[in-house]
Amino acid sequence: MELLYSLILIFIGLAGGIAVGSGFVAFITVLDIVPRLVQMTKAHRFIRGCEYSIVLGVLFFTWIDFRGWEMGFPDWATIPLGLTMGIFVGLLAAALTEVINVLPILAKRLRMQEHLLYLLMAMALGKVAGSIYQWMVFRVW
Amino acid sequence: MKPILYLRLKKKVQAQPGQLLRIKDICRLAGGAVCEEIKEIPVYAASLNHGNYTVIDSLDILGLISEQAPSLDVRNVGPTQTIIEVHPPAKEPRIILVLLVWMILFVGSGLAIMNFHVDVSMQEVHQRIYYLVTGRHVHQPLILQIPYSIGIGTGMILFFNHLFKRRFNEEPSPMELEMFLYQETIDQYVINDEKQKVERDSHGTSV
Repeated sequence: MELLYSLILIFIGLAGGIAVGSGFVAFITVLDIVPRLVQMTKAHRFIRGCEYSIVLGVLFFTWIDFRGWEMGFPDWATIPLGLTMGIFVGLLAAALTEVINVLPILAKRLRMQEHLLYLLMAMALGKVAGSIYQWMVFRVW
Repeated sequence: MKPILYLRLKKKVQAQPGQLLRIKDICRLAGGAVCEEIKEIPVYAASLNHGNYTVIDSLDILGLISEQAPSLDVRNVGPTQTIIEVHPPAKEPRIILVLLVWMILFVGSGLAIMNFHVDVSMQEVHQRIYYLVTGRHVHQPLILQIPYSIGIGTGMILFFNHLFKRRFNEEPSPMELEMFLYQETIDQYVINDEKQKVERDSHGTSV
């Protein structure tokens, strides 16, 4: 009986993992983040490497999270971590905005094509300000 | 042998109301001396009476040219329609409007990222990561969160390929491509729509 339960749990875990993992990859792919980064860094030869980096990152962080593995680094070690996390989320947010296609339409309707740059700037700065405000001042929890 | 005139319609022409568009405004011509007499032929008087888009078909142009110079062998190389966009005298967007939109986007983006953070429990994730890396529980791991916030801005700018005025390379940014595609789609739609209107009208009068 015990063995049967274990087998069922293993099956559920595996199925859930496959669903989440493929969903994650599909999401990243739709948003074209990797092509964008590769195009910027001209690293077309290393696309395979980028794929492995995503998969390994997912596995590594899932693993240390589930195992509760403390690494005992000093405080400042989280600075580069925070910065890279933020850049990734920023890419994600920008890609999402771009998919939804709000800005071109807004700019065209309001005849502000020449000011597009400032509008983009407003969005990027707004996100930085909102985020900092949330961590330092705002509290709902 | 007949002299040959090559012409290529421009994809799009901007005009002011009241302006008389001639062949030279709508097409590029090649063919030597014959061009001189052809290029002043009036084609269309821009007005806002029929909406601000009009489509000129290459057949109309060919018709006008053959009236003027029947012996000419005219060849069209390029698009078969020109879109004429009639603008009322340019209205600059008022700076106050730009500022308003700027503020809307600024505040809206800030709110959106805060909603996102609450949605995905970002605070708890940050606390967890801070704990995993340093082994200590801190309620507000600001040393992680402030670089994170700066990173969000950096990531967005990287994605849009702009460091404000300066750009990293010559490639268009996704936003510029998006603008371009949006404009192309509108132009295609206008060509189609005007064609149908013309067909409807000619049908209506003949019946």
